[in-house]
Amino acid sequence: MQNENAVTYGLVNKEVIQPLFKPSLAWAAIFAVDLLILAFGVYCWSYQLEWGMGVAGYTPPVFWGVYITTFVFWVGIGHAGTLISAILYLFRARFRTGVYRAAEAMTIFAVLSAGLFPNIHVGRLWYVYFLFPYPNQRLLWPNFKSPLVWDVFAISTYLTISSVFFFVGLIPDIAAVRDSNRNPIIKKVYNMLCFGWRGTDTQWRHYMAAYGFFAALCTPLVVSVHSVVSWDFAMAQTAGWHSTIFPPYFVAGAIFSGCAMVITLLIPITKIFKWENYLNILHFEAMAKLCLLTGFILTYSYGIEHFIGWYSDNPYEWGIFVDRATGQYDWIFFMMVACNCVIPLVWWFKKVRTNLWGLWLVSIVINIGMWFERYNIIASSLSHQFDPGSWVLYVPSWVEMGIMVGSFAWFFMWFLLFVKLMPAIAIAEIKEMIKPPLSTDTEEAA
Amino acid sequence: MSSHVKGVFNHLDSLITAIDRLRKADFDDYTVLSPLPRHEIEEAIYDNKPSPVRWWTLTGALIGGTGGFTLASLTSAVWPMALPAGKPMISIPPFVVITFESTVLIAGLATLAAIIFHCRLPATDLPIECEDPRYSSDRFGLVFHDLEGARKEEAIKLLHDAGAEEVSCADDEDDATELVHEEA
Repeated sequence: MQNENAVTYGLVNKEVIQPLFKPSLAWAAIFAVDLLILAFGVYCWSYQLEWGMGVAGYTPPVFWGVYITTFVFWVGIGHAGTLISAILYLFRARFRTGVYRAAEAMTIFAVLSAGLFPNIHVGRLWYVYFLFPYPNQRLLWPNFKSPLVWDVFAISTYLTISSVFFFVGLIPDIAAVRDSNRNPIIKKVYNMLCFGWRGTDTQWRHYMAAYGFFAALCTPLVVSVHSVVSWDFAMAQTAGWHSTIFPPYFVAGAIFSGCAMVITLLIPITKIFKWENYLNILHFEAMAKLCLLTGFILTYSYGIEHFIGWYSDNPYEWGIFVDRATGQYDWIFFMMVACNCVIPLVWWFKKVRTNLWGLWLVSIVINIGMWFERYNIIASSLSHQFDPGSWVLYVPSWVEMGIMVGSFAWFFMWFLLFVKLMPAIAIAEIKEMIKPPLSTDTEEAA
Repeated sequence: MSSHVKGVFNHLDSLITAIDRLRKADFDDYTVLSPLPRHEIEEAIYDNKPSPVRWWTLTGALIGGTGGFTLASLTSAVWPMALPAGKPMISIPPFVVITFESTVLIAGLATLAAIIFHCRLPATDLPIECEDPRYSSDRFGLVFHDLEGARKEEAIKLLHDAGAEEVSCADDEDDATELVHEEA
């Protein structure tokens, strides 16, 4: 916080709750454009549902393309929220408090976006329940030894527990919004949403105990969910995927992209809502440092992957890594390296990482780079398998790209609604950071 | 005639003083309201006795872990696949993933159930005197729910002496609140 002594409990309520409910013209315009893009995405999906998977750019044997790429991208984005809210909570990192509510919201909306893609990818949406374990009436019990079934469990658990953690964290703040509002309908709705929370001693006592347990439960989930996603690939025999480094590599990449997305989202919000008292350059700099650390782990992983490909002396393994850098997908490989390994290095200069434009632009570059990373892993390996006769060039169709762009609009729609309807800064926790009002202070002032 | 007494505090230390004094004076039917969790309040009222929420989490984790492993194992047992090379029907490494996820899932949901149960949510039965918008903003509250006669007078004095910014009381029969003290 910028000046802890100048901020009071009442001021926190006022400044955080004030921007809610009244949509500005700029907000309404952005929201309208977002809905238009989303409508195009919905049209693309309905077109695919009508005409079948042939309208996607799948070229045998490449049947995992933009949809799985974007699925992994969104799961990765969803990582940072829980990392910030749970792990940094357990470590008592002070910079977490201002950032974590928006990051948690980002997590939920990113996982909601990711959750769309298995539905889109299976093509026949009406059979999507085949993914879940239900009694064996069609001789289709799921195979629990398959990483795809692990993924269903991992993503469902992550979405459920992250949502519960997010909503539990919101309860006292929704009560604060209820109490500050005069509109009887809004009061009633928010009273229902916070379950009539009043902040009694009993409520706080059990609430805080439970909150700690949620943080403890979410911490291993952060590591597990993207490890499980990485096993979707690493458990396969496909060259370029079958690697033990995938879980840490994916987790580091997820934190890298997630923290970058937090920076991308929070800088404009801080400026628009004038929340400099709670979110300032120190918070963004801390996030940038986290990106630098995870970016280095990622760069190391890229290097070690290629080294092991060469060292293994396996022509298929080495072949795919040579192909990624020099073959038909080379520009994607170089986009990935430039955006994830080279450009973020500018954050080593304090001048850049303490400049809002420097932070914001590089964070967008990282997000682009991380999408390309997943595309590089998925498309290049599948289009360059063991039999040269099966080598193809996979080019996404307009339907796939439309759905991918639509998923961004879906994500931003939720986020835009969230910042207008819920306090995007944790009111009660910000108050915990402020020195409590004491009678001795008043006496001293007198 | 019984009534409730309500003290509003601007300062945390005054509230803690009030809690300490009322515990010494054997008051027990009271509620403290606060806009944020403060360990000082929990310590003053509960002497840091841990919340029973932990038992819910542990029970949920045990049920979830056992259930997840059982689901995966029984599924494999009732629908055996033709496994070459003597691979085990119930294979521990892949089932650890399912076991872990279901452990966390059920433990989390049990913790949510614990909040709902112990915090008595939805809090529809809280007395009206606990409803004050200041308690979610910048004031602390200390409310006695059912006092009469000398005890009521004692409570008012105690709140006043501890440094309450405002002390009020109301009879249960008519809802009118009488302000008995307000800091200048």
